[in-house]
Amino acid sequence: MKAPFVASNAPIHSRRTFLRGVGVTMALPFLECMTPVFSRAAAPDAPQRMLLISNNLGVLPKLFFPTTSGRDYELSPYLKELASFRDQFTVFSGLSHPGVTGGHSTENCFLTAARGPTKSGFRNQISLDQFIADKMSQATRFPTLNLGVNIDKANRSLSWTRDGVLLPAEDSALVVFRKMFLQGNPGEIARQLHRLEERGSILDALLEQNKCFSRPLGHADRDKLEQYFTSVREVEERLNTAREWEMRAKPSSTDPEPLDIKDKKLFFQKFELLLAMARLAFESDSTRIVTLMVDAFATPVFQLHEEHNTTDGYHNLSHHGQATEKVKQLEDVDLQQMGLLRNLLTSLTERTEGGSSLLNNTMVLYGSNMGDANTHDNSNLPILLAGGRFKHGSHLAFKRDSNTPLCNLFVSMLHKLGVEAESFGSSTGSLSQLENG
Amino acid sequence: MTIRAQNFCRTAVILSAAIIFHLSARVHASEHVSIESFGSLSPLLENHCAECHDADTSKGGLDLAKLPLQLEDRASRERWIRIHDRIAKGEMPPKKHKLPEQERLKMLQLLGSNILHVDSNEVAVLGRGPLRRLNRDEYQNNLRDLLQLPNLDIRDMLPEDREGHHFNKSAETLDMSRVQLTAYLDTAETALKAAIVDTPAPPASRHLRIVGTDLFPSLTTFGNREAMFFARNNEGVVFPPKPTPEEAANTSKDESLELALFRSPSWPYYGYPKGFVAPKDGEYKIRFSARAVRQLPKYVLAPASEPQPMTFRARRPSGPDVSGDVRATGGLIDIQPEQAVYETTVILRKGETFEYSLLGLPVPLAFNIKGGGPTYRYPPFPPEGQPGAAFQWLEINGPLAPPSWPPVSHKVLFDELSVGQQPADPKREASRLMRRFATLAVREPIANEQLEIFNRLVLLRIEKGEPFQNALLAGYQALLCSGHFLYLREPTQPDDHFAIATRLSHFLTNTRPDEHLSRLAGEKLLRQKYNLNTEATRLIEGHNFERFVRNFTAYWLNLRHIRRDDPDIRLYPEYRFDDYLVESMEMETRAFVSSMIRENWESKVLVDADFVFANDRLSKHYQVPPLNGSTLRKVVLPKGSPYGGLLTQASILKVTANGTTTSPVVRGAWVMERLMGLPPPPPPPSVPAVEPDIRGAKTIRELLAFHTKNQSCAACHATFDPIGVALENFDILGGWRARYRGLEEGETIKGIDRAGHEYAYTLSSSVDASGKISDGPDFQNIHDLKAILAANPRQLGRNLLHQFVIYATGTPVRFSDRPEIEAILDVCAGRGFRVRDLLMAFIESKIFLGPAGAQ
Repeated sequence: MKAPFVASNAPIHSRRTFLRGVGVTMALPFLECMTPVFSRAAAPDAPQRMLLISNNLGVLPKLFFPTTSGRDYELSPYLKELASFRDQFTVFSGLSHPGVTGGHSTENCFLTAARGPTKSGFRNQISLDQFIADKMSQATRFPTLNLGVNIDKANRSLSWTRDGVLLPAEDSALVVFRKMFLQGNPGEIARQLHRLEERGSILDALLEQNKCFSRPLGHADRDKLEQYFTSVREVEERLNTAREWEMRAKPSSTDPEPLDIKDKKLFFQKFELLLAMARLAFESDSTRIVTLMVDAFATPVFQLHEEHNTTDGYHNLSHHGQATEKVKQLEDVDLQQMGLLRNLLTSLTERTEGGSSLLNNTMVLYGSNMGDANTHDNSNLPILLAGGRFKHGSHLAFKRDSNTPLCNLFVSMLHKLGVEAESFGSSTGSLSQLENG
Repeated sequence: MTIRAQNFCRTAVILSAAIIFHLSARVHASEHVSIESFGSLSPLLENHCAECHDADTSKGGLDLAKLPLQLEDRASRERWIRIHDRIAKGEMPPKKHKLPEQERLKMLQLLGSNILHVDSNEVAVLGRGPLRRLNRDEYQNNLRDLLQLPNLDIRDMLPEDREGHHFNKSAETLDMSRVQLTAYLDTAETALKAAIVDTPAPPASRHLRIVGTDLFPSLTTFGNREAMFFARNNEGVVFPPKPTPEEAANTSKDESLELALFRSPSWPYYGYPKGFVAPKDGEYKIRFSARAVRQLPKYVLAPASEPQPMTFRARRPSGPDVSGDVRATGGLIDIQPEQAVYETTVILRKGETFEYSLLGLPVPLAFNIKGGGPTYRYPPFPPEGQPGAAFQWLEINGPLAPPSWPPVSHKVLFDELSVGQQPADPKREASRLMRRFATLAVREPIANEQLEIFNRLVLLRIEKGEPFQNALLAGYQALLCSGHFLYLREPTQPDDHFAIATRLSHFLTNTRPDEHLSRLAGEKLLRQKYNLNTEATRLIEGHNFERFVRNFTAYWLNLRHIRRDDPDIRLYPEYRFDDYLVESMEMETRAFVSSMIRENWESKVLVDADFVFANDRLSKHYQVPPLNGSTLRKVVLPKGSPYGGLLTQASILKVTANGTTTSPVVRGAWVMERLMGLPPPPPPPSVPAVEPDIRGAKTIRELLAFHTKNQSCAACHATFDPIGVALENFDILGGWRARYRGLEEGETIKGIDRAGHEYAYTLSSSVDASGKISDGPDFQNIHDLKAILAANPRQLGRNLLHQFVIYATGTPVRFSDRPEIEAILDVCAGRGFRVRDLLMAFIESKIFLGPAGAQ
């Protein structure tokens, strides 16, 4: 197949048709064959998945936030794009990360909530996706996938380790596709297995210590040691899982690889293609957690419509200063992105697994670290959550002058995934309004 | 209020003033009462308690019929201890139920002696507490000291430790999990990798000299020209708007230019020199020439009248938007008005640079009028001109090579084996090195059969043909994640001196025992009081005591949360982005606690003293005569100053407030718990916190009135609300206030803040800090309250002991520890319960040393 998405004059609908086509022909067989992944990992329910998207320049707040709240809220101009999904998403206002201010520097904290990103002593913290990967058993080949649109890989990412190390995002759809479907090179697999074996032998040594603690210990001491040895055994089990994954053949695909879009100007095409990769990742059960940073900041003058470019780079546009010409373009950009989101939700609805739609089994979070990029405001973040068996259909409005931590929403999402966590980041609770009945 | 909450409040612990003034262990067990006599408690309970605490009423959730008279079980013993304590404090039975004093004593004696008996037995058999895992600070320090890598930065690879009893030292809460163990494995691997080198010589060190316009990344910075410009002969230089490449090259070499800087680093800002990025992780020496200056109108420089404090910030050169860590490095430097050369060493990671960080200066921030384009304003100058600093040149040298190569960390792992060398007999050498490392690493001798486990791992790897170094590192990594390394234990056996050494070093230096201490443990000399005392003294006076101070204050006084809430700029514009003030506050509390122990102050300094530690910024904050420079000095307070003592330290007043308002409830409860050691019961569920009214219409006293009107609230709140009320004269950062600030009601105050933004707040009602301690004296203000609290030095001393016990042993004071705690207090009473006396007596006690005690 040709690569319609690099041809600048390709009609948009043909691109979409292609993407859908790939999904259908490739994905459905996996969904069938991939359950259960391993017999012991068999789960009665279809698994929950999570797609976490942030556009680091956000949206025009006035056109995004509804003016009324509750179940009967009136759709805002932007949300009208998602009208057909009204009952399958919730829009939030009055959420933000407390203490996370400092203009664009907050973009790396969207999933970490680490305070004061520009202050002395700052170090980023574990991001939501990595926190989940830590807590969950490895039921898929990749614990998470971290993607980016036009992303400045060295400086920006949604995904961070516990000790504040950036985990680079992948912005090449081709690389992601190969990672999921191209069989690994035998040498590389052997090296990886060797590494796992090395760690395994260390764990064996740690377990051996068990024999040596024969002196009488108090029951509390015994409990402590029991906890230790249980932990060693659990690490070992996880290692075995990793080993099995390493040896297991990747799912294959009869379809050609997508061609890459290298031109940053083709912003929407890139965004759409990476969303398609995220969907493929879910359909093939390659991973259940995907992050996607839309690096609008790093996006130069880009194609708004065929033969029609923006007048400024995305960042310059975002500082519109109420200039009509810029605001108009931003509105157009935002609406197109809402359109991409709608298409994604549509395609997720079209897939079913275990008797319900893939959307039902997938939480899609769309948001930003910027409440208003024009004024570098990091409060009142635009946040939208679709799918994932929540009680949707409302505009949940929190106080605009005293925001609720966004992490409260994250905690609700963790619970939905089955992660038992009382808190995450700066959470002060969870959002019970989202719970069913 | 719900029914449940009402019950809770009514029956909750009542902390009457009696406790504050007279709490002492009223009852000490006579150890001769036999366990059988416990049964004779039943009729007393029947007569005096059952009416409320039976199956029907079960007030406070207590049904005595269901609580077995059985103390061996930990949970029911804890309940009985609570019952004992509440009877002892006179809270139970309630006053209206007349309990003859004799019968009260009888109950207490029966309960006390039996609990003591059972608890002591358990301690004798099982030890005071369980094994305790190293927390992440201790793990990092252990590895830093073992591997001799003082800058090793691995702490954050480990999950944050759960706290118990407010500390990260509680054996009960320091648990292990798959995630935790995986993190230890990764961390050990990273640390070992950081210790080894693979080149025959150190990396080449680079030298760079920077002058002229290269001293700064750009010709201007955020915040208008006043924030930063280049000057020549004390006058601002104007550059051509579009310089030719030749002109630009000239200015970047122009030694006659000075970089004049007048702002602190706060977003947006980037202030690193041009053309430098650290090629490797390491230490870099920075030499630079600078002077403190004043900026006069029209960009004219004049010599400053005071030094200008500064530091450097390590960060990636990512422009105004920060990516990755931001760390102050190189220490505080006071730039003097006379031009001079300064030298410091900064720690950088590969890819980082460093930026000028002047402290305490304006922090211009853009504002957008009606959502329009960003506008900056530099705040108005003080009358004498705007302080700042001017830089003439700067030199960078690094990465600095270690004094020897391979570095000492490499030798810890491979002894004299040179880099990459394959030993002639790898297996033999591996066994030798494994034993050598294990001896260094584990804090006590390791049994051969234990060592064999790690040895076998290494030999197996060698047999499989793995490189010698890698095979050995696997053994080391396993050892660093083994039970030997990760857990600390109680000194239960009389000849166990290693556990004492380890406990002492983790207490006073938050790390492993040093060579001297280990040697004394090996010689079994640590149960001698003289040695204990000398060693403790040595550790307290040594530089690693700073680790104790840092960790102890981080948890006991919550200093680790000092930056949690930014000041609300609507009400407190003067504190906007004042990082230097917050840092100075933190330094003060550390200096205070350090001196409190080193100089053996009386326990009453927790609540009262006639001095503070201050530097230039704190002297303004505390309204004492102005000081120069960033160094903290002990300053005797002018008469009538409300400051002095931990209670009124700015850091304490900040961690007990949120960024917007102060709450007497929160502060009062905090002070009772952390400083007085008399924690109020947890707040009842489902009662919302009292939110101060920031419009300024209602005072907090009016809002708190229902705590005194409502009997069930008053029972508890009367014991701590008044303490917080007395602190109401201190704002969210501990600044003195006579009137509350608001946003609507009262006299309007307007101005321009440190960020160049206009502000307007109101001064509303006056602060009334008077009150009454329940069942105790009245007070008019903070001075009176300090006197009231300071009048109970024994309770303050007892609280310190309790903090030391949980911190040092991982287990809070047990019932069976109480007689010894009181004995320590008795010994220390004559000298005013001095803090170091208390600490030393604790170290010599059985609580610290285990049942064998000292010799």
